[in-house]
This record gives sequence, C-alpha cells and structure tokens, in this order.
Amino acid sequence: MLSKGSAKKVTIYLNEDTQRHLTPLYESLLAFLVHKGVSGATVTRALAGFGAHKVIHTPKVEALAEHLPVRVEFIETADKVDELLPTLYDMVTDGLIEVQDTTVVKIANKDKRREEIKQPHERKAGKAKMMRIYLGEADHWNGEPLYDVIIKRLRMIDVAGATVYRGILGYGVKGHTHKQNLLHTSRDLPIMISVVESEEKLTQAAEVVEEMLQDGLIVVSDVEMVRLVHAQPAEEPKR
Amino acid sequence: MRNYQPAKLLRLHFTERDRYQGKPLYEAIVQKCLELKIAGATVFRGVEGYGDTAEIHRSRMLMQDAPIVIQIVETEENIRRLLPIVEEMLDRGLIAISDVEIARIQKTARSPA
Repeated sequence: MLSKGSAKKVTIYLNEDTQRHLTPLYESLLAFLVHKGVSGATVTRALAGFGAHKVIHTPKVEALAEHLPVRVEFIETADKVDELLPTLYDMVTDGLIEVQDTTVVKIANKDKRREEIKQPHERKAGKAKMMRIYLGEADHWNGEPLYDVIIKRLRMIDVAGATVYRGILGYGVKGHTHKQNLLHTSRDLPIMISVVESEEKLTQAAEVVEEMLQDGLIVVSDVEMVRLVHAQPAEEPKR
Repeated sequence: MRNYQPAKLLRLHFTERDRYQGKPLYEAIVQKCLELKIAGATVFRGVEGYGDTAEIHRSRMLMQDAPIVIQIVETEENIRRLLPIVEEMLDRGLIAISDVEIARIQKTARSPA
C-alpha cells in the first residue's frame, strides 16, 4: 500500500496508436496496472512531440493526428515498482520507460473515510502526552496568524488532533494584559493550543512548534488518554 | 528538543457570575497574579458546563454565567505562594494542580514598557 514518504514515479512514453493485441498499448498498460492493484495511474495526451523515429507528431499534420504522444504515469512504492517493471519492460515494445525517486506528501481518500464512519467505535486507552502552547492572537508567521500555521503544520506531520482556544483575559511573557472590552475589540487575545499525542509524536510536534514560536510557552504533561476511534477496515489481502 | 523544566499547572474553575469586591472574579485573580509577580495567567470562557451544583452554566441573554477557567503555569514554589490567596478569593469552585514540563520561548527582544 502506498503511504506518505519516499516512493517511485514511473513514466512511460508511447504513441497513441501503438497497439498490443489489437487494443491501444496505453489501455493494456492501464488494465495491467489496475489488475496489479496500483494506487493510481494517469494517461495524458501530449500536444506535440517526437521520439526515436525522429518524426514530429502534431495534430496539424492530418495523417499523423492519430499518432500523438501519450504518457502513462503512476506512483508506487519501490517494492511494487520492482515487481511491475519486468512485465512493463516486456509490454512496451515501442516507447520509453523512466523511473524516478519521488516523495508522497499527501494521500487523501474521501470515499474510504465515509465508509469508516459507518463502522462501530473502538476504545483505545493508554498513556499519552499533552502539550499546551500559549501564544498571542496577534502573533504572525509570514503574514498568517501563527495559531493557524501551527495547526496546519501539525496536521501535515499527522498529529492526531489539536484544538485552539481563545482566552478572554491574560498576561504572560510579553508582560502586557490581553483584554477584550466592549468599546474596542482587542486583536491580541491570549491563544492556547492543546495537543494530545503519543510521547514520540509529541516530541516531534514540539520541535516543529519551538521553531515557529517567537514568544510563548510550551507546557507538556503526562495524561491518560481514552480515545474512541472508528475500527480500521481489514487490510486488503496482498496480491 | 529544548530543555524542559519541571513546573506546575494550576487550573481554577468557576463561573463568569462569580465576583470579588464588586468586579468579576477572573479579573480580580489576574490582577492579584500581576501583583504577586506570577509569570502569566490566561482566562478562558467555556461555551457550556456544569459543576458541583449540577446547574448548567451558559451565557444567556441577560445573564453572563459561562464557565471560566484560569490557567497559570509557574514553579511549584510560586504556585504554593499563590494558592492560599486564591483559595480565599474563590467562593465556590474547583482548583486543580498538575505536574508539567515547560519550555519558555522568547526570541524577540522585549520592548521597553
């Protein structure tokens, strides 16, 4: 299964009309990739191009319009690519196969999540750590509110959850009181972000926050966590 | 990771309606903390809650009665110094203390007050 992190990207360059067993080669390739359970593949048709035959393929020349370049691309784990490459090598009789290292930053699967909601709750309990981050509402990071940026960054490193609280009054490292009154609405109320995670993950999160926080306080404590999660769907049998 | 120092987290739970010498209790406590040179205090207003009396606290149109939480992070010594004073000010409420580890971050120079 493809996950976040390093992966391989395979690009295959073909002609649209290259055939294999009377069907276009790109269709055979897609069918093969689906059969092998590849996470996803995309076929794109180019505007123009040329290859080993030194003929420029462009839709302007009518006779060659059916002869346009196409590109089949997919991203998979290194193991999976190793498994698929010999067959692909065999299938691509006219064209070019390229493999490059890549990094998967995000995989989102909406449908899967919707399915999970229907599943019953599972109770997970155990020791965890809680981090509270105290900052000000007026703190910014490259023009965006700092609390917003911290939340986004935590989500990117797969922290389970974070909540932002806005205080109504307070003072801290900056020495001034943050207060909201009726006549003028303060734009610098105190903000607290709380995060509950495993010790290992929280250490990683703390490092990220330490780097971004200009003035503030990070408070870490031991907590007992009870988490209600949706049961994970049974993993697909390996093919 | 930075060096995290042991400290205490003090949480005071009461409601917006509580008052001390005519002004809101949370304002009075923050004022007291400033006087006692406590490093910091933050007041949060909850959306809804209940406590000892099982009476629902929520801000209604004419009555401000939302739950209030004040959080104070300080050394154990300073928390012990603050506690008896706060206990005296708090008419009805809850005090919770927990062990924490803290890192104070101050990268910008403090502007002259």
